[in-house]
Amino acid sequence: MPAETTASPGLLAQCFDAWSRYRDIVWYRTLAGLKSEARQNFLGYLWLLLEPAITTAIAYVVYSVIWNNGGTDRVVMLLLGTMTWQWFESAVTAGMTGIKGKLHVMLHFPLPKYIFPLVGVLTSTWKFLCMFLVVLVFCALAGHPPNGNFIYLPLVLGAQLTLIIGVAIPLAIAVTYFNDLLTIMNSLFRLMLFLSGVVFEANQVPPAARSYFYANPMAGLIESYRNIVQHNEPPIFAALGYAFAWGLVLMVIGLLWSRHIDGKILKHVKHHA
Amino acid sequence: MPDAPALISVQNVALCYRRHKSLFASQKTAIWALHDVSFTLREGEKLGIIGRNGSGKSSLMRIIAKIFEPDEGIVSYARPLHVQLLSLGVGFEGSLSGRENAVLNGLLLGKSRAHMLSRLEQIKEFSELGEFFDQPASTYSSGMSMRLGFSVAMETDPDVLLIDELLGVGDAGFKLKSRKAIEGKFSGNRTVVLVSHQPDTIREFCDRVVWVEKGRTIMEGPTDEVMAHYKEAVAKESGLGAAN
Repeated sequence: MPAETTASPGLLAQCFDAWSRYRDIVWYRTLAGLKSEARQNFLGYLWLLLEPAITTAIAYVVYSVIWNNGGTDRVVMLLLGTMTWQWFESAVTAGMTGIKGKLHVMLHFPLPKYIFPLVGVLTSTWKFLCMFLVVLVFCALAGHPPNGNFIYLPLVLGAQLTLIIGVAIPLAIAVTYFNDLLTIMNSLFRLMLFLSGVVFEANQVPPAARSYFYANPMAGLIESYRNIVQHNEPPIFAALGYAFAWGLVLMVIGLLWSRHIDGKILKHVKHHA
Repeated sequence: MPDAPALISVQNVALCYRRHKSLFASQKTAIWALHDVSFTLREGEKLGIIGRNGSGKSSLMRIIAKIFEPDEGIVSYARPLHVQLLSLGVGFEGSLSGRENAVLNGLLLGKSRAHMLSRLEQIKEFSELGEFFDQPASTYSSGMSMRLGFSVAMETDPDVLLIDELLGVGDAGFKLKSRKAIEGKFSGNRTVVLVSHQPDTIREFCDRVVWVEKGRTIMEGPTDEVMAHYKEAVAKESGLGAAN
């Protein structure tokens, strides 16, 4: 039976105040996540650019120089696939463990539980944006400079971020009740990595299997990145809408579920701790 | 304050910690921390909650602070209230400076960023952290973290303050200062709930007391009356003749 609270005329203003406060909490904790990683190394924030630069250089040497398999175009194709997939996987994983990892904080402050998965997602997203910048510089050097279709990039990034948040929030709650899901999701990510067109292009998928291929929202997003950066073409708008709709529906489910379990979930987690 | 309006009403509240079943474990799946607790908190009142370890006092505080939802019973609030559980240093991020942590902690405690930014100088001064205020919290000793946590908590102004066994932190000098600051919270019209298993602490600060034992309200009333019964019960059970 929920605790009762009497409504007041200033309820809207209070909701806005609460929202501003939650936004600031997410921002400060995201900043803490980035600072924490940067302070562990002598080169600090430089690693945000150095790490993807090294990965890019390795991919170039392996695929373009040693194997001579497809030249720099293949490297561009692979980098766009792997980096954007890595963003999805790392952000969802970070968000998924958000509630369990911050139990000690939640036991002292009445906060909505979706805050903590959001922090994980946004920390990974900032790191990805640095990586993506390096990849775009490499693409420009490899003969794919910025073109007019780059104006659609924020749309694709926005659709993917919505999808990531939508997937991460319900999973963060589910993992709290069913820890085995962490292992299951890790295996599922491996499977999805190969089914999302990370290491091959969509036109290599047999026509009969295309509808199944595109049922995975990440497949259309990865192809859209390649369309824009590599082929100077617009993204697949239907795929963006599809990914955005998935993200939005899952986000609403996650937020409603988060509200439903708000005062209950900690009693379960505390008992497990 | 028997005539003051009721601010929070707790009626027949019960709380259960549940464990989901595991294929290879045969532990109990439900543990009831509270069975039947009822009391009323009035505006401006200093209410003590006493009971021995494991009686459910901390769980009860988390229900009042809206962190846990009761499994049975009702908790009703007279109006939307800012209820704050005093937690020192919880939620600090080692990579953030004392200044940033002060703002973050204030946000967690229910205050706005603007409010916390306007109180930073007072927090810095009260915490006596000096130059460390702008250093990462990972460089702080546990005493320094407690001092910063306490200073932040003193700059928030909740409608209802919940204190769980916390009266004075840090070294001897800061302990005196923090105890004085806490005592200040008990003066005036502020509503405070103090949880303790120390009879002397409850006697010193509270107007009224709720005695909770094994998740049930045993007695509610004026401090002297409840404490006399509590003391008698503890003495009887321990066989020592008298409690502290």
